[in-house]
Amino acid sequence: MVFTPKQSQGAPAPSSFIDNTGISLKPSYYHEILDQRPTLGFFEIHAENYLSLGGPARYYLQKIRAHYAFTIHGVGLSIGADTPLDQAHLKRIAQLVEDVQPEVFSEHLAWSTHDHTFLNDLLPVAYDQATLNRVCEHIDQLQSTLKRQILMENPSTYFEFHRSDRSEIDFIREMTQRTGCGLLLDINNVEVSCFNHQTNPFDYINGFPGDAVGQIHLAGHTLDENPTIALKIDSHDTPVSNEVWRLYQHTLKTIGDRPTLIERDGNLPTLSILQAEAQQADQIRAQIKQESRHE
Amino acid sequence: MNKAFNDALFHQDEAFYKEIKGQSSKEKALRFNVYRNNVYVSLMDALADIFPITQTLVGEDFFRAMAREYLQQNRPKSPIIREYGGTFADFIRAFEPSQSVAFLGDIADLEYKLLTLTHAPEFTPLTHEEVSAAFNHTTDPAKLLIRLSPNTQIMLSCYAIGSIYLAHKQPSEQSLTQLDINNSEHLLLSKSFIYAEMHVISEAEASFIQRLMQDKTLEEAIPDDDTFDTGASLAKLIQWQLITHVSEAAA
Repeated sequence: MVFTPKQSQGAPAPSSFIDNTGISLKPSYYHEILDQRPTLGFFEIHAENYLSLGGPARYYLQKIRAHYAFTIHGVGLSIGADTPLDQAHLKRIAQLVEDVQPEVFSEHLAWSTHDHTFLNDLLPVAYDQATLNRVCEHIDQLQSTLKRQILMENPSTYFEFHRSDRSEIDFIREMTQRTGCGLLLDINNVEVSCFNHQTNPFDYINGFPGDAVGQIHLAGHTLDENPTIALKIDSHDTPVSNEVWRLYQHTLKTIGDRPTLIERDGNLPTLSILQAEAQQADQIRAQIKQESRHE
Repeated sequence: MNKAFNDALFHQDEAFYKEIKGQSSKEKALRFNVYRNNVYVSLMDALADIFPITQTLVGEDFFRAMAREYLQQNRPKSPIIREYGGTFADFIRAFEPSQSVAFLGDIADLEYKLLTLTHAPEFTPLTHEEVSAAFNHTTDPAKLLIRLSPNTQIMLSCYAIGSIYLAHKQPSEQSLTQLDINNSEHLLLSKSFIYAEMHVISEAEASFIQRLMQDKTLEEAIPDDDTFDTGASLAKLIQWQLITHVSEAAA
């Protein structure tokens, strides 16, 4: 089933993805989106929630796709796994990408499957040569199957490996150079990881290979204030925090404007609240664009 | 190394902590536990989403304890998380603490089947007019073959699970107080538009539908039961959008 190309429906041109911030698409918003057609740059879906051959997910995706630009975010390919990619799953993902024709397909620098079981979480990888070789091989395979450049997202992490012999940023830079993949810069993940490893998130942004960034994610996190070591948890169930907004502003000043998503997965607010967060991002983007014109 | 990580997630094994940077074992444990917690909570949440009525029947605390026990032994096989829990019903049937709710496994089985049906591809049913036309064009309706959608399923339970399910799904329509839980029930599972639905049917209706599914002619499918009303049963099949094709059996 190839979805009707949006151009023939008089739907927004691809510039809506470039210019206006998008939000995560969730089933509880389907009807309101179709009834109200809120102004939003695009919707992002998790690939694994839209692979059914029938039912509401497929049906509403097709309806909403006729009016909006889309991005697809994979959460189950397990690029960082030390076993080969699941070919059947890869094939299903390729079909979805073919059907939806998204602006972007992105995945994570993480692993989530082991020995044919799926752990439903994004688990960390060590930053060493063996992991880099494996991750690059998997990205090559994914890009050649999808016949497009993919974006890889920087992870949120809660510990560092002794065996890592390079920084996360060096690993990501090498991965980008070797595979030609782009990057999805998740600014909440930067805030979470830097807090957890007691490093400076502004330094992280300054060192990040900004030219390769094709999309930005903004999300909320929670704080676990235990007495041994306080940790920030990448929960996606709260509004974007002030720290993340400040870091976002700094990022745009450093690397320039980028398509942006408000990512929300839990404790879902009304659609209008997410829309307001998207507008807040749009205001920051407009302000930075204006400032850069005057420089 | 991912194997060692995986093993550490599901066993309280500290051997993996040597891989982790940290000032103390306590700190390493706290850091690692974020992942352990994410995996456990997200899989328990997934089961709660897939089996909402099963959870309502036993309460959240009991359900989560049972889900935790299940996921220790049974991890998802697929990154499509809604497919998780295909063996949960059988697990519940053998789970000692849930034996006092004897019908719980059957409810879980029903919930899983309905969710799977919802995500299955749809087939276009014949309209009332199209079925009528097929009947009008034949000289012998008894010889007609009535094909049902591949999304049609019959389920039999020793308990009144269909009524329990409906009472929780549409609480205003049916009261649980008048229900005899030990009445066995035949259920029809099917798909209407993009959603699965369930109807409680009689034993004769179940037998009729099963014979149609085995490509018996209308005459062969009609059960030997005085209470069976062929016209009313056909009307239900049309209303429930089950009929996809009507043709005359080859002579």
